[in-house]
Amino acid sequence: MPIIEVDNLVKRYHHAKEPAVKGVSFTVEKGELFAFLGPNGAGKTTTISILTTTLSKTSGTVLIDGFDIEKNDREVRERIGIISQRPSLDKSLTAEENIRLHACLYGMYGYRPAFRLMPAEYRDRVRQLAEVVGVGGELFKKAGRLSGGMARKFEIVRSLMHTPQVLFLDEPTQGLDAMARRDLWEYLNAVRSEWDTTVFLTTHYIDEAEGADTVCLIHGGTIALCCPPAQMKHRLGANTLEDAYVGFLRQGGVMPDDAGVGEKGRAA
Amino acid sequence: MSTFGAASKSAQPKASGEQARRAALPARLSLPLRELNAVVAVAARDITITLKSPGTLVMSLVMPLVMMGLIGGNLMENMAGGLGFDFGQFMLVGMLVNMLFMMTTTGLTTLVDDSDDNYSAELLVSPVSRYAIVLGKIVGSSFAAIVSCLGVLLVGLVMGIALSAGQLLALLALAPLMCLSGGALAMIVMGAIKNNRMANIAVMLVTMPQMFLSGVIIPIANSSGVLLVLSRALPMTYCVDLGRAVVYAGSPEYDAVVLFDPAVSLLAIVGLTAVCLVLGTFLYVRSENNR
Repeated sequence: MPIIEVDNLVKRYHHAKEPAVKGVSFTVEKGELFAFLGPNGAGKTTTISILTTTLSKTSGTVLIDGFDIEKNDREVRERIGIISQRPSLDKSLTAEENIRLHACLYGMYGYRPAFRLMPAEYRDRVRQLAEVVGVGGELFKKAGRLSGGMARKFEIVRSLMHTPQVLFLDEPTQGLDAMARRDLWEYLNAVRSEWDTTVFLTTHYIDEAEGADTVCLIHGGTIALCCPPAQMKHRLGANTLEDAYVGFLRQGGVMPDDAGVGEKGRAA
Repeated sequence: MSTFGAASKSAQPKASGEQARRAALPARLSLPLRELNAVVAVAARDITITLKSPGTLVMSLVMPLVMMGLIGGNLMENMAGGLGFDFGQFMLVGMLVNMLFMMTTTGLTTLVDDSDDNYSAELLVSPVSRYAIVLGKIVGSSFAAIVSCLGVLLVGLVMGIALSAGQLLALLALAPLMCLSGGALAMIVMGAIKNNRMANIAVMLVTMPQMFLSGVIIPIANSSGVLLVLSRALPMTYCVDLGRAVVYAGSPEYDAVVLFDPAVSLLAIVGLTAVCLVLGTFLYVRSENNR
């Protein structure tokens, strides 16, 4: 059974002439790295916001691990982790305080007013996760004083605290330098490998999607193509995914007549 | 081959992934405990931020000086004659309740900051009820309100106005309900506000007229028409009156100062707070989900 099922999803913003998402349908299998690509304004962030229950949909059905995002929102929220496009650490708190608050909101531990008062299990887990991403020494620094890369790494530590089944990454490496990007992906790959975490990724760095199991192209609020990267390159007659993507955009987001929408997506 | 996404399913089979996940998950709290824990955690966040911000603490103490010392002091010296009761104590109780309301309302404007900083997404995506988040914010905002009350009491002492320990304890016992009431009213406003500037203006628009309409410093026993309707629609009117009812209980000034039966005030506070809390939470969540 797919872990994410999206069927005929529509989102029309108030006062908008056209829907931002026009009847999108696709599925994501458990453990998959699913890359959701498209230009700015294509509907990527709108779709990811609906899937993560932070934006209401206009119509359609979305199931995460079999749970409806509106009827069973709590069950859905328990199963997902999010790293959003805009940084979301509380800058007034330390990195550890941000993580502690998250762990408590997810019911993992009872709240204690200091790190040293939290259970040993929590302290070990936070230290371990922070060490893995190389930010162990910055745990007690105010989040507002962290570099963009470090803040991102702490967001990842935070989002993984409750061991989500699906990790939504909305342009997670935006604004990071090459080294930070590589470190981050090494860690994410280790997480996927260890916990079988499904990753739903949107990115403008197309090379990040090369290793994806499925790539889904969205343009103008509709799915243009949804298939493995090799198949996409073949269908679009390109050597790299980036070439395929750029070619697709140069054609105005229109697929060649014989391309279809691919095995993982359905046209509106 | 790029290193990005290299641990693809096909590349590295993960036969033990599910077992590893289960092993990694610590024991979860039960649902009611989780909700309570969320209230505590959200409140603790606001308290931590307040404690880390000396400016907020100073403001919490300066505000009573302005409200009680300057506005109240002037009224006491120039307009309090012939009221038939001690205006100083009347004002002190009103100011204490006003501070609880005003500072809780001001504290809730941080919801707009959270929205601007994208932190509200972190809160709203967590698997706890929206009421737990809103209650946590109200409790957290109440901390600065209590600090302000200490400021009111200090200014009162300087002005020669004091309450007995029993009266103070009675008011302290009512303080959580009053903060909740003020916070619930503020939530209705916050649900309709999209930016910080608007939020600051809205707070002024809510708190200043409320101070005069609810009888904080000016008696409202003779209000009529629109002023009467407005004063009866505001939860703070009943909070101020209930506060005075417990402070003046058994005193000869009771009938001149207290407007309603304490049971009526309590019922009105609970009813109006419940309505404001449900409506305010609904408006806030709707506004976040549609932003």
